[in-house]
Amino acid sequence: MPLTFIDIEKQKSWRIWVFFLVLLSLYCVLTALVAAAFLRLPWHGMQQSWLITGLFALLATGTHFWLSAHNTVSTVVKGLNADPPDPEDDVHKMLLNVMQEIHVVTGNKRTIQCFVIPSLSLNALAVADLRGNAAVAITEGLLSRLTRPQLETVLAHEVHHILSGDCLETTVAASLFGNYAFILEKLNTTSSGRISVSPVMYLAWGLLQLSYLLKLFISREREYRADAASVRMTRNPIALAETLYLLSRSWRGAGFIGSSFAMLCIVNPQTTALDEEEGFWADLLSTHPPIGKRMDILLAMARTSYSELRARLDRTTENTARTPAETQYYALDPQHTWQGPFTLAELGTQLWLSPLTWITKGQEPHVDRAWKEPLLNELFALRLSQQGCQATSLTCPACRQPLLAVPYEGTQIYQCRFCSGMLVATGKIPRVLARTKRERPCSDRMNSLAKAVVTENQLAYARHSLTANDGKAMSYLPCPQCANPMYRGFYSQAYLIVIDRCSFCGFTWFEQNELEMLQCLIENRIVPDISDTAAAPPLA
Amino acid sequence: MLGWILLAAVGLILVWLVVIYNGIISARNDMQNAWKQIDVQLKRRHDLIPNLVQTIKGAMEFEQDTLEKVVSARTKAVAATTPSSKAVAENMLTQTIGKLFAVMENYPALKSNQNVIQLQEELASTENKIAFARQLYNDLVANFRTRLQVFPNNVVSSLFDFRSGEYFGADEADRAVPAVNLSLRK
Repeated sequence: MPLTFIDIEKQKSWRIWVFFLVLLSLYCVLTALVAAAFLRLPWHGMQQSWLITGLFALLATGTHFWLSAHNTVSTVVKGLNADPPDPEDDVHKMLLNVMQEIHVVTGNKRTIQCFVIPSLSLNALAVADLRGNAAVAITEGLLSRLTRPQLETVLAHEVHHILSGDCLETTVAASLFGNYAFILEKLNTTSSGRISVSPVMYLAWGLLQLSYLLKLFISREREYRADAASVRMTRNPIALAETLYLLSRSWRGAGFIGSSFAMLCIVNPQTTALDEEEGFWADLLSTHPPIGKRMDILLAMARTSYSELRARLDRTTENTARTPAETQYYALDPQHTWQGPFTLAELGTQLWLSPLTWITKGQEPHVDRAWKEPLLNELFALRLSQQGCQATSLTCPACRQPLLAVPYEGTQIYQCRFCSGMLVATGKIPRVLARTKRERPCSDRMNSLAKAVVTENQLAYARHSLTANDGKAMSYLPCPQCANPMYRGFYSQAYLIVIDRCSFCGFTWFEQNELEMLQCLIENRIVPDISDTAAAPPLA
Repeated sequence: MLGWILLAAVGLILVWLVVIYNGIISARNDMQNAWKQIDVQLKRRHDLIPNLVQTIKGAMEFEQDTLEKVVSARTKAVAATTPSSKAVAENMLTQTIGKLFAVMENYPALKSNQNVIQLQEELASTENKIAFARQLYNDLVANFRTRLQVFPNNVVSSLFDFRSGEYFGADEADRAVPAVNLSLRK
């Protein structure tokens, strides 16, 4: 039957109503709680208060629903920095042509845009929204690795998700709670783990947790169906199996594609053990079926086997490129989870990668800072030059990258672009401290941070002087100029901020925020608060 | 009372007839639309071929014969009208283009020419679109035929004059059973 795979799959709009109702009840409870706590509305026998609560919740739900589900396609596309294909580019032109071919084979039922995600990872995803827009996005990495027939199967798979309506359902589910989660994750990676704690963040965090629950609604079956439909359109099960094989062995964009959008992708960006399992719990909690099973089904259609496919693919890769296997890297991201495997180039594109990131190479057991890898150092230098920064001959004692000359409080100091540490000529410190008419006045956060740090340091100092030197070797930082170890100590007995100082070159090194804390200490006369905590900590 | 029941039954039958009739009509329209789509793609191929021939003529002086075959196959394909004659002519054209591409492999200068690369990509895409459009058309023809022939639709369709659709034929050469001599005698 023609297109029955599309026609039979009726729009599953009922699930979208379920999402709406879940959200509505959530807001109802929230409004009722707020009303009970702050407004002290009389609940007994007051139908009016119930009515108002209900109306308010309905309004809030409607606004939330409209904001998140109405124009999701452009939100997702913007979030991933995706661009429409460039017709001047040969590979992008092929993508455009293949997309038109897919339109032909589906009988031009619907216009679907396509986008390219500038990422070296290998993945593709589909989005559709309530406005009727639909788009397929594919990463630059996948686009460059696929042959034409393989690309056809991938696009056919994604287009089926859109035409069958299950894409709309997952997009609504993902964006309802996930958009905020996506922004939260982005914030987390860009601000290197420091986010200001505010109620909005708590709300976003709650929504993030809810979005994980939504996976219960999203069935794995739809991936099998989309695979089958892709074969139905392109009549080429082997090409799709080859693509899945390729995807199973590559970096799929973990850390780049937000986890809330994982369910829109052709394969889950995060490699999880659950995805590769079967059974009741795996079926319930996982949004993607095991790649091995998907490949088995496809290969059965083509009457071939996994070993044959693998032998053939390995032979072709051997013939085309006999390059030694690239070293695989793993890196610890700001959320303290290991990401990988990356090739060196892929690792270099991670925005969160800094010289202080812990990385490990291949099968080697030991872990090291990223700046110890010479190739990555070149990359950091390149980043600096791309930002148009003028590097000096001084190197950051922590990251070993060139320091930049920056103006600060009317004088010139040196700063590391990566760890935000500051190097100040010792003679200039009084100038900085004396200038109370500051460009950047003390924030509350900096004041409380300074207070906490000096209190902590006061306690540590007291303990240290009681227990004397315990003989532990301290690691001294090298001086940015002469590379001799720097003296480490407090700025003064009155201001307990740890500094590193080279008395030969006359430089003082402040780690991130330390100089600002010192300024705040002096300006606001902050003293250590040890009145009630002094007795508490036991002596080491 | 009996009259009312009778009236309701007749009404129901009428509604049912209308539903079946509309289903058949929409299937036929889908099929005809798909046929138009093939036409669009074939037209596009016909437009692209002269461009390609112009571009490569200079570099392929010794292959004038191949080029002429392509041009004449195109002319025949443009002239064909009925689905079956079109299918034959288009298959001829597909074959000659395939040969031309094979011959072009021997000319490194052509393979690196940006114009040729783009034209080849366009033609490859158009070939695919033709194949996909044919696939869709044939699927829709099958659907239309099934609609006409299954019971009770065949009763309704016999009341009206529906002509069943014609498949866009597979390549004759592909369809021919290869002659395999299994005898061991020499």
